[in-house]
Amino acid sequence: MSTVTPDVGHPGAGGHDHDSHGHHGHGHAEPSPLSLLWQLPTFSCDHKVIGLQFLITTLMMLMVGGALALGVRWQLAFPWERMPILGDTIFKADGGQIAPETYTMLVTMHASVMIFLVIIPILAGAFGNFLIPLQIGADDMAFPLLNALSYWFMWPAIACFAASFFFGGGPANGWTSYPLLSALPEASPASGMAQTLWLIGLTLIGVSSMMGSVNYMTTIINMRAPGMTLFRMPLTIWSMFITAILQAFALPVLTAAGFMLVADRTLGTCFFIPSGIVVNNAAPTIGGGQPLLWQHLFWFYSHPAVYIMLLPAMGMVSDMMACMSRKPIFGYKPMVYSLAAIAGLGFIVWGHHMFTSGMNPALGMTFMVSTILIALPSAVKTFNWLGTMWGGRIQFNAVMLNCIAFVSMFIVGGLSGIFMAAVPVDIYIHDTYFIVAHFHYVLFGATLFGCFGAIQFWFPKMFGRMMNDTLGKVHFVLTFLAFNCTFFPMHLLGVAGFPRRYADPYHFPYLEHLLPLNQFMTIAAIVMGFSQFLLLANFFGSMFFGKRCGRNPWNANGLEWSTPSPPGHGNFDVPPVCYHGPYEYSSPLSHDKDFLPQTEYVPLAQRQAVAQSGH
Amino acid sequence: MLRCKLSLPCWLPLMTGLCVLVLTVGCGKNPEAQFAWRDSTLDLLPKAREGVETAVNDAFGTPHDLVAWDKLPVHFGGVQGVVQPPAEGEKLPANQFHVQWDGSPDGVGAGSELLWMTGAIAKSKHPTAVVVKYDDVTKTLELKSKGEAPAAGDRLAVGLGSQLQLGRMVYMKNCNHCHGVAGDGNGPTAQYLNPRPRDYRLGLFKFTSTLSSEKAAREDLDRIITYGIPGTYMPSFLLLGNNDGGKEKAAVVEYVRWLAMRGEMEKRLVDELSGDYSESGLVTEAEKEKKSYADAKSEYDKARKAGNKDAEKPEPAQALSQLKKAAGEELKKFLEEDFPGTINDTSDFIADAWKRADDPASLIVPTVARVTDDAASRERGRLLYMSDKAKCYTCHGAKGRGNGPAIEDFWKKPGSNDTYARRGLHDTWGNPLPPRDLTRGQYRGGRRPIDVFARVYAGIKGTPMPAFGGTVLKDSDIWDIVNYVMSLPFEEQIPSAKPAAAPHMAATEPVGQ
Amino acid sequence: MAGRFWAIFFMLAAVVTVGFSAIGPEFRWWFPGDGHAHSTLGKKIDDLFYLILIIVTVTYIGTHVVLGYVLWRGAGIQKNDKVWFSHGSHALEVIWTIVPSGILLFIALYQMDVWRNYRVKSYFPPKTEAVAEVTARQFEWRIRYPARGKKLQPRPQPDDIYTVNDIRVPAGQPVAISLRTDDVQHAIFIPELRVKQDAVPGLVIPVWFEVTDTGTYDMVCAELCGWGHYKMKARVVATSEEDFEAWKANAAKEQFYDGLPAAPEAVAAKAGDE
Repeated sequence: MSTVTPDVGHPGAGGHDHDSHGHHGHGHAEPSPLSLLWQLPTFSCDHKVIGLQFLITTLMMLMVGGALALGVRWQLAFPWERMPILGDTIFKADGGQIAPETYTMLVTMHASVMIFLVIIPILAGAFGNFLIPLQIGADDMAFPLLNALSYWFMWPAIACFAASFFFGGGPANGWTSYPLLSALPEASPASGMAQTLWLIGLTLIGVSSMMGSVNYMTTIINMRAPGMTLFRMPLTIWSMFITAILQAFALPVLTAAGFMLVADRTLGTCFFIPSGIVVNNAAPTIGGGQPLLWQHLFWFYSHPAVYIMLLPAMGMVSDMMACMSRKPIFGYKPMVYSLAAIAGLGFIVWGHHMFTSGMNPALGMTFMVSTILIALPSAVKTFNWLGTMWGGRIQFNAVMLNCIAFVSMFIVGGLSGIFMAAVPVDIYIHDTYFIVAHFHYVLFGATLFGCFGAIQFWFPKMFGRMMNDTLGKVHFVLTFLAFNCTFFPMHLLGVAGFPRRYADPYHFPYLEHLLPLNQFMTIAAIVMGFSQFLLLANFFGSMFFGKRCGRNPWNANGLEWSTPSPPGHGNFDVPPVCYHGPYEYSSPLSHDKDFLPQTEYVPLAQRQAVAQSGH
Repeated sequence: MLRCKLSLPCWLPLMTGLCVLVLTVGCGKNPEAQFAWRDSTLDLLPKAREGVETAVNDAFGTPHDLVAWDKLPVHFGGVQGVVQPPAEGEKLPANQFHVQWDGSPDGVGAGSELLWMTGAIAKSKHPTAVVVKYDDVTKTLELKSKGEAPAAGDRLAVGLGSQLQLGRMVYMKNCNHCHGVAGDGNGPTAQYLNPRPRDYRLGLFKFTSTLSSEKAAREDLDRIITYGIPGTYMPSFLLLGNNDGGKEKAAVVEYVRWLAMRGEMEKRLVDELSGDYSESGLVTEAEKEKKSYADAKSEYDKARKAGNKDAEKPEPAQALSQLKKAAGEELKKFLEEDFPGTINDTSDFIADAWKRADDPASLIVPTVARVTDDAASRERGRLLYMSDKAKCYTCHGAKGRGNGPAIEDFWKKPGSNDTYARRGLHDTWGNPLPPRDLTRGQYRGGRRPIDVFARVYAGIKGTPMPAFGGTVLKDSDIWDIVNYVMSLPFEEQIPSAKPAAAPHMAATEPVGQ
Repeated sequence: MAGRFWAIFFMLAAVVTVGFSAIGPEFRWWFPGDGHAHSTLGKKIDDLFYLILIIVTVTYIGTHVVLGYVLWRGAGIQKNDKVWFSHGSHALEVIWTIVPSGILLFIALYQMDVWRNYRVKSYFPPKTEAVAEVTARQFEWRIRYPARGKKLQPRPQPDDIYTVNDIRVPAGQPVAISLRTDDVQHAIFIPELRVKQDAVPGLVIPVWFEVTDTGTYDMVCAELCGWGHYKMKARVVATSEEDFEAWKANAAKEQFYDGLPAAPEAVAAKAGDE
């Protein structure tokens, strides 16, 4: 039986790599590869352009955040010695030696930039925007203007963050900004205007995310193509949907808390400030508030935010992994349920950030149980990923390598999480480098490797060209090795009681001998930082010089691969109809090829024949 | 559309370029830390400024090239000795000789740096050498250089300045970000702190155990570093240097003293010159002359108009450039003839003052033991506190809350007729200084009775807190005040100061007291 | 074959990380000091840590062996080979949900006792006395002890003894400290005793521990408290009961020193009795 391609109007849908771009004779013109790029500086309401705007902004911010991290690492390896660039320019009179509040600024802003300007927007903003309409077969988001606004609200936030550097050396109270340090302007150099600007920036990011999440929920619920039932949605869409729900419910709390803190700082309210506190010989506080309230409110958002920073990557990796293993995802429904379980449990575990905070110890016990249980859906997902690869024909390209790294690193990050979920053990490792190791394994090791894979996987859809696979592999190997050299020793540092956010830990006798290890980690971090230039070079170079490709270079199943690369305005040249789930790779229904696009109709007789033959 | 079939090699240059750019920017020249000069030094005429800077640099060096000037009473570290003639019949190679040490040659060993102080080598181009081996039994030094052999009687120093170097290292790690490279209290963090970090350059330290006319003793600085100053951002460095036997702490004390001497030297030299040779001074003078000429001219014109032919025509005012020229010539002469003497006198003065501070005779020792801390003593103290003799209440307030009437006044700046822009007291550094709230139980200079005694006896240096000891109050009076003041934080718990409550207190006194 | 290379690559990464952790203690990249906890609760915490470490290591090695095997096998499947077409297995899903959940619940419940003992006041050891009030401030620890033979009062007393960055406790008996802060949030962290507790503005939090061995233990601040966070270097000195009392007597003498060589004892004794 010959291949059935129900719509002959789809030149690329058959996976035969039609070189059809640039030709205008096809009825549907293929747009020029860089058509999306040229729209970047415009106030476009096209979801693809907005996605790309998010992607390129976040890649730039990734470099900024990375540079800040290198500053941190430099100080930890060569404390009080001349710091290149930063020390040379700002601390010339001190011989390039930075001030301690500059170190805490670097720590704070590295976290703030990476979390709020890189990871959250690259997942939800960049890939969410780009993929949701394409994967569910919609021509755009439900609210295109709102979507554009969600991107453009990033810029005032970036401006606030940037402006904050000019007040008191920049915000330096940690990305968690615990009061009273952040509530009393006298408490530290950074607690003045810088802190207010940081909080405003945070609120603006929140507004941006909120607009996105409303849009994603509406789009996913209302605009799916015919036949795209909920359980035929790719896991990327599921994860985006659940992320959007998480954001919609958690964000208002942070926004409220942010406003309360701004009010405490500027209007003289005392939500978080107890009475009679004297800081820096300023007048005693009037008070009546509770600093712990901030921690509860902050973590009520920020713990779900950890999953906001992870779930979309899980979804995308599932998509890529199935495609690159040429096999259906193992346990599609358990994958969906575990996503939902992570999200649901994610709302009742925030207290594990506060085990040593002095909150009611009974709360500690309940939070411990819920926190430990959240490891369960994560474990289920991991097993399913392994099941997906099991017996598959694995394509070891840069995309797949990043996905495998995702799984491997997520295992490390997940297992180290069990230590801190256990309260008594957490007493010891709380606020040490063990925590730093854990969240870098999850946020960088898992999420960013997932993103690196996703960038290379969907790049052809964005620009009609492939990214260079060799360069991608070199980037992967360097990043993976340097990443592990940088962050794995942090576990051991944490066990050695190495505290976080210390500008100079080595004047404590019990930490002195850890300097050489830190220097090793710093060298690895520098290698890792510079490796990202490879990614940038590959990304921007491939836009112009990459190998041209057709609609479906990976022979993947999703609806997005039935569109031209890059898709024109309105995405689909033929309104898609969805006939299968997204992971029917190597299905017996398709004899001559190892994939079955969601748009490909298989006649009933053939399905019955296959069913009878025992599949 | 740009089309290019080249793949990998095509953007490798792009990537390499970016990396090279970052690396070149990052690996630029190492900036050197600088001792910042006083504003008044920078205000001097170029030649005068050069004179001061040269004098101070000659005596103290720069952060990367410290000078250990043996005139200063600073423990620079290292040990000195004299070359001994070889024993009779002994044959030593040219690079080996015996030494008679002044102190104990603890740190001397392979790698130590040696400096010739006297003798032929000291005057040569390379007065330094590196120790290869030292034998403490025969007291034999072996040097790396095989040049000229030293003569017996030549003085040498090994490891000179090592303590100062260590002090600087410790200082840059722990103190620099508040107190600044030059000890000017102007490090990067300083501007955010209240009170501001101490500026050592006046040679003044507030909390000392020495008489009011004396500098701070080493022990005082050590105490402050060890225990910190509660109520300020000066933290306790109790565990500085871990268990090195106080080496780092001693080194940083020396370094701070040395910075204070350097700052005071600069200040005194500038003060000597700034009256006549400062840019702003000359500008003011030119303006003054211009004004007086204009006045005289109008007077003269008036007289001429009135027909007074005898009126003397005023000399035209000198322009700024003329004034500068005149000052420059005068300055040249001054720098050549008088300035070396000034430098000498100033350094003598500073060295003497700091030497005296560690003399036991400068210590405050109460002539009587602490008066028994009972209700009667506290009451006597309270009366003294409120008396016209001590007038403590004018600043510290009737209840000791630091809210006396003086904080409402505009105070005069020392050495001028201007008043401070803000109400209230100021210290010598010009920073606002609220009188201490005595009810908080926070004692910046230490909470031992002797500390509080010293505060009252010798005042607090650089602040309006005057010295009462010796002249105004007897030692026993001061103890009464100390007893009263130290009971203030507990007034609610032990109503000692109120006479009515005295019997109750007496009842709790142990028998026999 | 390229695919096999990658299978080995990921396996090696796992082997190296495990090996690195295994040699960590050799280089003292492990628990500080001699590697053992020096408090009663600390020993229990260490036991729990090692329990979790074993479970986690087994899981880590297990999953990575599977990963390596999967990749190795996946690399061997040729272009025209059939892959295993499967949408999942209900039985497997049930197994790998129930087994981990059992292990996880066991870990959670097994920890409860130590936590309760550490933080719930009614489960503190009987007769745990507060030996000192520790007040954190930017950037040091100020400590207040009651005079000899007295109990710690919530408010300062005239005969209290003060130290800075130096906590003295008797070893071999449960002791408590009252933790508070003068300004922003800090956290007391004594690594070798496995003690950590935030000092929250407006709260006085009792922290108890029992030091098992006399000695000096480093103490740090574990909650970002401003630019000088790293400066809060302090120590806990645990001595025998007699040495502790002797130290206290001596400290009182020092603190009530009136500048005369002969007088201190009398004054201190007097101040101590007041």
